[in-house]
Amino acid sequence: MAKRETVNRDPNKGYVALLGWSLNAVEAADRFDRRYVVVAPEWAEAYCKEHDIPYVPWNFERLNDRSMEIAQTLQDMGVDVAIPLFEETVEWAGAINSVLMDNPRLFGQAMLLRDKALMKRRAQLGGIRVGIFEEAHDKGDVIRFLKRVNQTLLKLDGDPNDPIHLKAFDKAGCLGHRVIRTPDEVDSIPEEEFPVLMESHLDGWEFAVEAWIHNGKIRFLNISEYVTLGYSVFVPATPELEQYREAITRQIEKLIKTFDIEFGFIHPEYFVTSDGEMYFGEVAYRPPGFKVFELLERAYGFNAYQGMIMAFDPKTTEEEITAFFPKAVVDAKGVAGCFGVYPRRRVVSKLEIPAETEDHDYFESHELTPPVEETVTKRTAFGTHWGLIYFFGEDPHVMRDLLKHQEDLDFYV
Amino acid sequence: MSYSEANSSADASKLESLSKRLDEALQSLAEAPDFAKPMKLGRVFQATKRVLMQEGGCALVEQRAQRFEEAGIFQGSDWANPQFLVPSLSTFALKSPQADTVVIEAISELRLLAIAMGDYEHPSMSVEQAHHYLTQVLAINLELLFGTAGEEERESQGRLAIISRSLVKHLAERIGYEHVIDKLIDEIWRILQQRPIQVDSIKQMVTQIAVCRANPDIDLGSSGQGADRLISSLYGTTQASREDPGIGIYLERLETMDAGALQYEATGFARAMHDTGLVSPYHAVLVRHLLGHSTHLLGEALGLSSTGRDCLLCYDELVQAIVGEAIHPRTAQGIYGLALMLERGILYQPPVAPALWRQVALPLSHYSRERLNLAYGDDPSPRARLLEGVLCMLGQPLGVGQGNNPTCQSARAMSMWAYNDPDYLLQMVVWAARDDEIIIHFEGQPISSMASLSGVATSLPIDLDPVSLLVVPHLDRIYAEMGRRCVGREGDPHRWVNPEFHGWWSGRGFRINVDVATGQLEDLEDFLRHFYASYHPYYNGNQPLIHPQPAGIAVTDSAARFIGWHAITILRVTLDPQEVMRVYFFNPNNDSGQNWGDGVVVSTSGHGERFGEASLPVEQFASRLYIFHFDPLERGELATVTEEELQRVIGHVHRSWGADRVPAMEFQASTGVDSSAG
Repeated sequence: MAKRETVNRDPNKGYVALLGWSLNAVEAADRFDRRYVVVAPEWAEAYCKEHDIPYVPWNFERLNDRSMEIAQTLQDMGVDVAIPLFEETVEWAGAINSVLMDNPRLFGQAMLLRDKALMKRRAQLGGIRVGIFEEAHDKGDVIRFLKRVNQTLLKLDGDPNDPIHLKAFDKAGCLGHRVIRTPDEVDSIPEEEFPVLMESHLDGWEFAVEAWIHNGKIRFLNISEYVTLGYSVFVPATPELEQYREAITRQIEKLIKTFDIEFGFIHPEYFVTSDGEMYFGEVAYRPPGFKVFELLERAYGFNAYQGMIMAFDPKTTEEEITAFFPKAVVDAKGVAGCFGVYPRRRVVSKLEIPAETEDHDYFESHELTPPVEETVTKRTAFGTHWGLIYFFGEDPHVMRDLLKHQEDLDFYV
Repeated sequence: MSYSEANSSADASKLESLSKRLDEALQSLAEAPDFAKPMKLGRVFQATKRVLMQEGGCALVEQRAQRFEEAGIFQGSDWANPQFLVPSLSTFALKSPQADTVVIEAISELRLLAIAMGDYEHPSMSVEQAHHYLTQVLAINLELLFGTAGEEERESQGRLAIISRSLVKHLAERIGYEHVIDKLIDEIWRILQQRPIQVDSIKQMVTQIAVCRANPDIDLGSSGQGADRLISSLYGTTQASREDPGIGIYLERLETMDAGALQYEATGFARAMHDTGLVSPYHAVLVRHLLGHSTHLLGEALGLSSTGRDCLLCYDELVQAIVGEAIHPRTAQGIYGLALMLERGILYQPPVAPALWRQVALPLSHYSRERLNLAYGDDPSPRARLLEGVLCMLGQPLGVGQGNNPTCQSARAMSMWAYNDPDYLLQMVVWAARDDEIIIHFEGQPISSMASLSGVATSLPIDLDPVSLLVVPHLDRIYAEMGRRCVGREGDPHRWVNPEFHGWWSGRGFRINVDVATGQLEDLEDFLRHFYASYHPYYNGNQPLIHPQPAGIAVTDSAARFIGWHAITILRVTLDPQEVMRVYFFNPNNDSGQNWGDGVVVSTSGHGERFGEASLPVEQFASRLYIFHFDPLERGELATVTEEELQRVIGHVHRSWGADRVPAMEFQASTGVDSSAG
C-alpha cells in the first residue's frame, strides 16, 4: 500500500522526545520537519518497530534513582527537549529538561504543576484569585470543610448545601473529580482516594484555555467553551465568552509570570463569575483531554501537536512560530465540538446512535463501541465517558445548543 | 417549484455537503502514515455511511472507488485482496448489524463495480473477474433486490438495511437490471456444464431464484424462464414431489406406490440429474426406499446405461452398502457420483471394490470427524459425508476444485488419481481420514505430512469437498516439503517434485521455457517444437496421450496481463468435431471457462469437451504453457513444425505473459519463477 512519505527532517531544528504514547502525537511528529523520538513503556516497542517509529523504552513510574538514566540517554542522542503528553509524564519532562537544558529550576516548576494544592498556593501568592480550598486527609476533613463552606455562605441547617468539589492532587482533568453536597455522600469516597484537594463551588462559567508559549510569550491562545463540564466542549467559543479574550490573555500572562514559564504549552481552567471576575481553577502542562487538539485541527487546520513541538523546541525561530499559528477566531473555518456519551439507563443492550444526531448537518463521526456489559456501573466520578461524538459546523450557538441537547438522548438502549 | 422538486434539490445539497465531509475524511486518511490510518477510519466510515443513506450515494462512492482504495481503507482487512473475496460471504456482511461491516462491504462492492465498468484499472482484478464476481453477489442477494424487508432485518439492522438495499439496486442498475437473472441462469448452466463436485453455492442460487419467483411481491417480468429446469431438478422433479411436499410426506407416498409408479419416479429423477448434474433431496429418499426392493429400479433411479447397469449387477451388495451408508437427503449429490462411478467401470479394477468396502466401514479419527462436522454439520454422520465425497470424486474426477485456496497442485493430484489410479486415491483418503498422516516418498526419503509444518496454504481450507477437506492439508504440506528439499538445486523444482508427487506415469523428462533466476523467456522455439513432438499427434507418430500429465501454465487475464503460474493436467490432444487439433486439459480452478486475453478463450463445452474438461486449440494452449513433462525415451520429430505456426504461437506469448520477459538488452529481469502457486 501507500508507502510512508519520508519527510525531510531538518538537522538545524530541534530534536524532540515525546514522553508517553499518543498515536495522534506520534502521527503529528512523524509528519513534521523535526527529528523526534517516542519515549514510552515497553509494550509500545513492537508497534514502533513494525512501523519504523523512533523509540526509546521507558517505564514512567514514580521518579526514582534511575531517573537520570533516561535523561542521559536522551542527552547522548542529542535530544534538545522532552515534551510531556500526559499528566504522569509532566514531572519526567521537568526532570529530563532540567538536565538537557542545564536548568534545575525546570524540575521544581514541573513539581509545582503536578500538585493541585501546591499549584493553587503558588497562584494565590502570585495574586491570582482562587476559590476557597483545603487539603483533606480523611473523611472527617471533608465533612468539616463542607460545613464550614456552607456556614460561610450563611446557610441554616436544613437549607440545601452548596456543593464542594473533591479532586485528586495529581490526576488529569476530571479523573477522580467528585461533587459532594451532603455529609452522607462522603461515605461513598473510597479511602484510597485520600489525600484530596477540596474546593468551594463557584457559580460561574467554567472554561479552559490552551496557550502555546515560546520565549515567554503567548503564541496562540484558544478558549475552549464547556457546555456541561465533563460532557462537551467546543472551539472556538461563542462571542459571549470570546468577549473576555483580552481579560483572559492578561490572566494567562500573570500565570506565566507566576509559574515562570518560558516555553511549552499550558492548559489552565478558569471560572468567570457573573460580574466578570476570573477565578483560577488549575493548570496542566500537557495537552488537554477531550480531544481538544483534534477539534482545533478541525476548526483551524493547524496541527496542535506540531504547534506544541515548536513551542517546546528551543531552536524554533521567531518567524517560524509566528507564521505557524493562525489568528484566533477569525481564521477558523468553523466550529468543532465533541460530546462525551454516558449511558443513561442502568441496563443497556446495544449502541443505537439517535437518528436526529446522525442526521444532523453538524454530525461528523463518533467513536462509540457496542456495550460489552449489560449493566451500567453507577457513575461516581467524572471522566469515564463511553466514547466521543464529533460535530463540525458554522455557528457556535447552534453547536452549543446541539451539544447540550445530546445530554437528553440515549445512545445506549 | 413543487414540493417534491424542492425536496430533491434539498437532497442534492445535502448530498453535496456530505460528499464534502467525505472528501475531507478521505483526505485525512490518505495523508496519514500507515500506522495512524486506523484512527482515521471511523470518520471515513461514518461519512460514507451517511452518503450511502442518501439517494445517489452509491454512485458518489463508486466514483471515488479508486481514491478509497488508495487512501488505504481496505489496508490490513479481508477486503484488501479483491481477487480472494468470496461472493457468498457478501450476504453476511450486508446483513450485519454492525454499521462498519455493512459500509466497508458496500465500498468494496462499489469498487468492484468501478473495476467492472472499466473506470478503475485494478492491479489484481480484471474487468471480467469483477463483473463475474458482482453477478454472483447479485445472485446471492436477489432477496435484497426484489424482496421486501422482513421483521428480522428491521430488528437487527434498522436503518442500515437502506444501505444494503440501495447498494444491490445500484449494482443491478449499473450491471444491467433486466439481464441479471438471465445472465445468472446462463452462468449457472455454464458452470454446471463443467460438472463440479461442489454445487452447494449453485443450489443456493437456484433456491434464491425459486424463492423470488414464488413470491407474488416480486415482479421478475419475463426474465428467469431458463431457470425452470434448474429449479425442477431440485424441487418438484417428479409427479409425486411436484409441490415440494416435504420428505416425510414424499416417503409416505412412495410406500403406497406400485412398481410402475416407482419406475416413473425413478426415471424422472434420473433424467433431471443427468441433465443438470444437480440432485434433488427427494431423489435420495427414493433411492433409499428402493434398497432391498429392486436392483432393477435402483439402476433406473441412477439412470444407468448398459455399462453401469452391468457394473451395478456385479457389485450389487457393495452398492447397497454404499447407498445405505452414504445417501441421505443432505448427501443426495452422492447419487450422481455413484452413477458416474458405476459408468466408469472402475469397480472392475481388482483393488477398487475391496477398497470401497473398507471405506464404507472406515473409522474416522477424532480430528477428521471434527473437521467434517465443522464444514458440513453432523447430520448425516461425518463418515457418510466422506463417503459421499469419495463417490463424487471417483465419479467426477474432473469436478475437483481447489476452492479459494492456493493449493492447485493438491487438487490436481487428487483429480489425477481419481481419474487414473482410483485405488491409490482411496488409500490416501484412508491415511488422511483414519490415521491423520500421509507419507509419500521423495527420491527414496519418506516425507510425512505430520512432520512438515507448513504448506503453500497458510490456513486450513474449509470451502472444499469432503475428500479434499481431509486430504488436501496433508498433500499441501508434503508438496511444500518436497519443494524445500529442492532448495539449492539449479532450475525449477517442479522437474523433480511433479513426478514424485503425482505418480510414476508423469514423465521424468522436463521442459521449461522460463529462466528461473531471471524470469526471462528461454529457448522458446525449442520448447515449443519439443512440446509438439511429445504431444501433438501429427508430430509424435499419431500417438494419443496415454496418461494424464502435469503441466504448468502462465495464466493471463482478459487483457492478456500475467496473473500467475498455475498447475493443470493435460488429458488429451485430439481433433475436435470441427477438425481443429485441441488440447483438452483439467484446470483445478473452480471455473475453467476463462478469458486469457489476446483472443485466447478457454472453452468448456461445444468443442468436444467431456464434463469438467477445458480445451484450447493447440497453438493457443502452447502459447500459455511454460512447463511440461515427457518420457525421455519417446522423443518425437523436433524439426517439422512449420515456421509460420511457430511464429504464431510465439506472437501470442510475446503479446501476453511474455511481453516483459523477452530476453533483450533493453529488458531487465523482474519476476523470477519460484513456485506455481495455484
